[in-house]
Formats: sequence, structure tokens, C-alpha cells
Amino acid sequence: MSVRTLKGKRRWLALGGCLVWLAITFFPLYWVLITSFKTPIAVVGGPTYLPFVDFEPSLTAWSELLSGQRGQFFNTFLASTIIGLSASIAATFIGAMAAYALVRFTFRFRLLSALIFVAIAFGGFLVGRHVLGYGQGISLIYAFVAALALAVISSRFRLPGPELGNNDIVFWFVSQRMFPPIVAAFALYLMYTEMGKLGFKLVDSYIGLTFAYIAFSLPIVIWLMRDFFEALPVEVEEAAMVDNVPSWRIFFGIVLPMSKPGLIATFMITLAFVWNEFLFALFLTNSKWQTLPILVAGQNSQRGDEWWAISAAALVAIIPMMVMAGLLSRLMRSGLLLGAIK
Amino acid sequence: MTRNDPIKHFFIWPALLIVLLISIFPLVYSLTTSFMSMRLVPPTPARFVGFGNYIDLLQNPRFWHVAGTTTLIAFISVGLQYVIGLSVALALNSRVPGEGIFRVSFLLPMLVAPVAVALIARQVLNPTMGPLNELMTALGFPNLPFLTQTSWALGSIIAVEVWQWTPFVILMLLAGLQTLPDDVYEAAALENATPWQQFRDITFPMLLPISVAVVFIRLIESYKIIDTVFVMTGGGPGISTETLTLFAYQEGFKKFNLGYTSALSFLFLIVITVIGLVYLAILKPYLEKHK
Repeated sequence: MSVRTLKGKRRWLALGGCLVWLAITFFPLYWVLITSFKTPIAVVGGPTYLPFVDFEPSLTAWSELLSGQRGQFFNTFLASTIIGLSASIAATFIGAMAAYALVRFTFRFRLLSALIFVAIAFGGFLVGRHVLGYGQGISLIYAFVAALALAVISSRFRLPGPELGNNDIVFWFVSQRMFPPIVAAFALYLMYTEMGKLGFKLVDSYIGLTFAYIAFSLPIVIWLMRDFFEALPVEVEEAAMVDNVPSWRIFFGIVLPMSKPGLIATFMITLAFVWNEFLFALFLTNSKWQTLPILVAGQNSQRGDEWWAISAAALVAIIPMMVMAGLLSRLMRSGLLLGAIK
Repeated sequence: MTRNDPIKHFFIWPALLIVLLISIFPLVYSLTTSFMSMRLVPPTPARFVGFGNYIDLLQNPRFWHVAGTTTLIAFISVGLQYVIGLSVALALNSRVPGEGIFRVSFLLPMLVAPVAVALIARQVLNPTMGPLNELMTALGFPNLPFLTQTSWALGSIIAVEVWQWTPFVILMLLAGLQTLPDDVYEAAALENATPWQQFRDITFPMLLPISVAVVFIRLIESYKIIDTVFVMTGGGPGISTETLTLFAYQEGFKKFNLGYTSALSFLFLIVITVIGLVYLAILKPYLEKHK
């Protein structure tokens, strides 16, 4: 028994508080669940609370939903699943690689190289667009390639100015998360439209949305996985290095298997983020690759007060994440997640 | 302990390239656009207007109103989230009976799609079919206009935010509480410190770094709110609950006013950066004092 354990009256007071919060947490979820089993008449007749006592449960809403009378639910569900899984797997993997590199290897470059990148990117775009008269898409591509090449080449030389290291790169990645997504979502929509004019269809496509999600999950993945890799004992890797095992085999053969709990937790957090994401899907899709949040949000304006149908639709978006929460809590109980959220 | 090996480039470049392509490059594009007058509907050719869009925005009362609404929602809801989250985390950390069940179930709201949460809130707050108004009527209140009157609508949005995101605060603070060493509390118990003294002089100061981080993350995230508002009120009544992101969406996607929307999103970025910096600057002395 720890010294911090409450005793006597205080303990019951704390329990009471927790129970109140539990009721607040569960009531809305309970409400949406029972509403999805109500008949239209039962919904309009005013609030009822207990199945079989207050109202007779019926499967109307669910059978309508599953038989496809309520829009393309099956396709949307499939699109959400495919995009969610592939984006979070890719983000976890790419982010883990970057996080590992940032923990174990030394990166050094001058601030000036970064500034060169930004300057060439802006200047190149403006010059391409207004002086040379290229289209917006083409100028963007040229400016990007030129900026990247010059920045990389310039980092080979001994430039003056302050030197940046691993922590600055991590900070740069994580600070991406601070950006209001509307800044990127809107610009990305315009950029994708420009690419569409060049023949690459990115708006309302699998690639377009998945890449956007990978990019916006990477900061959080790198942040979480960096903490995780830092906690790993370095001795195992040093032993492998003595035996001349190449770095890529150390990473794929030793480090990744050792960090499975962290990878799973990070993957799940990323999946929840992608699954529930609204703004990017709103801007970047319109029909074929629309995700569940957009369809569910649309229910509201399309159906007015048909709460039985709306509840069933909302539950389709909720239930997969609840199942995942069950799995996540198992991980938490075994204490595996502690390292990842510290 | 870091080493040097050319393979490091192979590890870091995929992430670097994707982030540069998808999140930095659109910024270049939209920053240049923000200095132009550009419309898609009706199509007008791009014209350089300098800071014109920014000046227009800063003179537009709607921008200030929307920024004020967003600030109000963000600060009140994060404040409530922190107070409730800290109380619950403290209770859970002191081993209330049934702690294991609470710990898991308290996390659920965080995983529900905000859009779905907003739809549930609309049902619960419905004037005739919702349970909350029935409860209010039973308690002797009149039928309350939860989503159709400005102050109630703002309150409802804040309540939904608190419901959804307090779990995040609980999760982080609980993790922080568990790292606090026991011996300090044993010493305090020997000195006969009251629980309140223990909280004020030990728990709270030692928890300050993680508290600052949690509030910072939540504050920045709250400023981005759109989905809940989009579904619950659509910004209404009138524009009284419109947030910055929703305003940008309306301008960009309904009016296709590209230059204006780009300028708006950059102003938004500046607002968030300033708030973040001021917040950190205010709290820095406290953090250093307790190190």
C-alpha cells in the first residue's frame, strides 16, 4: 500500500467523483446505441431510456443501413479502412526509421542550407510562374527539385552561420503538428488540382489522401518513437556492431523486433487519428475515396431528425475504434505503453 | 551516444521528403497566393495586391469575431479539461476502488470520431426528442435552446470539447503522476502534512512540466476546431459560433476566394504561434523555479 493511497471518507468522495464522470462518459455512448435500435415512431415520441421497458427494440435502422438504402456505406467503410490501415502502417514504418536515425546517428548541417532551401523554393516558384511563364504545377515541381538539390549540395561546403543538429530536426518535425491543418489542407487541395491539370489525378484519389495522412502523422510518430528508441538499451546494438553487422540489419533484425510494443501503440494512435480525421478528407475527396467522417457528417443535413438512421451511421464510425481501444487497454495494463507516452 | 554511418540518409530521407512535399511545399504556394487577388468563381486572373488581403481581413469585423469565438472556446474548454482531468487523475492515482475499469473506460471518448460525437450531442440536446431537455423540464427549467441561442450553443460546444478531450488530459497526467517518487510523500507523511499541503507543495509543482505540456498541446489543438462546430451548429446561429477553421473553409470552399483564404490561414498560423510563444514565455520562470 502506497503512502499516496487515500483513506476513509476521502476515498469514497473520490470514488463518487469518478462514478459521476463515468456516467457522463457513458451516457452519450449508451444513448446512441439504444437510439440505433429504436423505430422511427419511438424516436419522435420523446426520449425513452430502457430497451424492452420503455420501447421495443427494432433492427430497422441497421437493416436499412446494411442493405445499402442509406447511401454507399459499404464502399465508404472500405475506403476508410484501406486508407486508415495503409497510411498508419506507412507512417509508423517511415517515422520509426527517421526516429531511429535521429536517436542513433549524428546529423549536422548549417542553418544557411535550410535558408537556401526556403529561398530557392519561393524564388524558383515565383520566377517560374511569372518570369518564365510556366504553369503553377510545373513551377512548383522545378522549384522544389532545384531547392532540394541546392540545399543538399550547399550542405557539403563549410558554410558560415550556426550549426543545427538532431534536436533541431526533431523540433522541426514536431512543430509541423502545430500548423493549423487548414493552412495545409487548402493549399494541398490547390496543389493537387494543379497536378490534376498535369495529368496526375490526386484529388479524390487513394494516393493523394494517403500521402497527406502519412505526412501529417509523421510528426507524432517521430515524437513517440524517439522516446521509445531512447529508452532501448544501446548495448545490444553495440555488441552487434562489434560483430560487423550492417546498420540496416541491426535496425530491421534487432531494434524493430525489440520495439514491437511501441510500434503497436504508435500504429494504433496513428490509426485513430487517421480514421477520425475530417478536414483533409473534406477538402481532398468528393466521392470515390470519401471517408466515414464525411459521410457521417453528411447524414445530418440530408436526413434531418431521422435519429435512428443517424445513430446507426455514427456507430459504424465508432465501433472499430472501440474495439481497438479494448486492444490498447490490454497493452496499457501490461505497462507497455508507459514508455511511449512519458 | 550517436554514430556516423552513410546509411543514416537512407533512414531519414523518406520521412523528410514526404513532409517537405506535403506540408512545406503547399505553404510556399499558399504564402505566395496570399499576396495575390485570385478567385476561381467567377474566374479572375491572379493580380499582385501585396498585403491587401491581410489588410482586408484585419479590417473585417467578422475575422475578429471569429478569432474571439475560437479563443473563448479554446481557453474555457482547455481550462475545464485540465481541472477535471487533474481531479480524475489524482483520484485514479490514489487507488479508488475499481480503478482498473475507470482507467480503460475513461479513455473511450478520445477515440470517437468528433463528427460522431457532434451528432450524438445534437440528439442529446434536441429540444423535443432529447433526454437533456426532458431532465431540465423535470427539474423545473424551461425548454432550453441548446443549439439555437448564442450563449447556449457556445456552452454546448465547450461541453462537447470537454467530454471528448478530458480523457487525453487524464491519460497524460496519470502517466506523469506515476513517475513521481514515493519517498517525498513518505517524508511529508512523517511531517504530518495535510493532503492539501501535499498537493500544493509536492504534487502540483512536480507535475508542472507535464501540465504545461498537456495544456499547450490541447490549446493548440483546440484552436483548430472545425468538425464539432460544423456538425453541431454549422457556425450558427448567424455566425456566432463560427471558428477560424470554419471561416476559412467557408471562404475557400464556398466562395473560392483563394488569395483571401490563404491570407486568412497565415494570419491563423501567426495567431497560434503568438499564443504558443506567449504561453511558454509566461510559464518559463515557474518551470525553472521548480526544476
